[in-house]
Amino acid sequence: MTAVDTGPPPLAPVEPRRRAASSKGRFLVVCVLLAAAVALVLYKGLLSSLNYFDTVDQALDHRAQIGTTSIRLEGVVVPGTVRSTGSGALFSISGDDGRAVSVTFVGSPPELFKPDIPVVVVGSFTTATSDDFDSNQILVKHSASYIAQYPSRVRAPNGSTR
Amino acid sequence: MTRRHLDRALGPIALVLVALTVWLGLWVTPPDETQGNFVRLLYLHPALAWVALYLAFGLAALSSALYLWPRTRSQRWDLLAASTVEVGVVFLTLTLATGMLWGRPVWGVWWTWDARLTSTALLELLFVGYLAMRRVPADPHVRARRCAVLALLAGLDVPIVHYSVQWWNGLHQTDSVLVGGFHFAIHGSMLWTLLLSFIAMTVVFVWMVRRRYEIAVTESALADAALEDAVLERRKEGVR
Repeated sequence: MTAVDTGPPPLAPVEPRRRAASSKGRFLVVCVLLAAAVALVLYKGLLSSLNYFDTVDQALDHRAQIGTTSIRLEGVVVPGTVRSTGSGALFSISGDDGRAVSVTFVGSPPELFKPDIPVVVVGSFTTATSDDFDSNQILVKHSASYIAQYPSRVRAPNGSTR
Repeated sequence: MTRRHLDRALGPIALVLVALTVWLGLWVTPPDETQGNFVRLLYLHPALAWVALYLAFGLAALSSALYLWPRTRSQRWDLLAASTVEVGVVFLTLTLATGMLWGRPVWGVWWTWDARLTSTALLELLFVGYLAMRRVPADPHVRARRCAVLALLAGLDVPIVHYSVQWWNGLHQTDSVLVGGFHFAIHGSMLWTLLLSFIAMTVVFVWMVRRRYEIAVTESALADAALEDAVLERRKEGVR
């Protein structure tokens, strides 16, 4: 008497190599696309440098090296220096130690542009030795402080208004 | 209150908190001295970023690490990581979108490649890549391992995003909350509304992740059942 095999029949594989190759290919495609996207973002970020701007103090300290190359310059708009021109505005920006740069701006300033706020101006010094700056873009760099426009509406925990 | 009741109440609680934030943010809080009414994005943008960066991707990195650690390895950690990344990508996309909406009138540009924005865009790409990786057909354990490694690598960008405004000169503002200890650079009702928005978005996140995780567990169980059915069918075919 012969023994009867009652276990489940063996399963035949269904194109295992093709499937594996397809899966591996898609995995590689995702890896390559991801690496390319990361490289592009890093390139864009590093191209414009990790330090987005030079402060007025930094720029004036390295004035000779900068020459007339295009830079982003950060400083506070000096009150009383803003004048409108037909094509833009004239104003000065200053650094922490009080040194200032005169800016000739061509274009439309951002809505929030006004004296006594930090701004970043994009452009270059007019000559290799001048402290006058030509700009065609102003970026307003708002501070981290948020102060109510109508302070009387804000009540402190002790009941006083500030 | 049982866990089931709490689970059911989570959605309505999130809705009420969001509605309260909208009411305070749009009608009760004053305009800002410099930014005027643009400041109202303060009650949305930072809360979205908080959820995306620290909750979603933090949780994704933690659950991925727990998956990779042999003693704690479980498919549930992989499913939790996938769910949090999916929800986190939604929050991070909204963070970038609201940041652009805020940047245009305040800075004067929609987008610029400063360190904070660049590192955040990088994070978005890495986690979108994570989602793409999950769609690549593979053995569930192989896929889980690949994704866990990618989540941990992407998570390395989170501290870079956080400290970018301190490490480098950038256009993006520095911290307004917990500046140098327990100090806030925001006036009264604006601060409370901001803190409420953080709580509201956190509850929304918890609700979304819970729902997404339940779906992921169900999908996984269905896939297992479908595989078992397919094996049984094949065996029947073999018997015939």
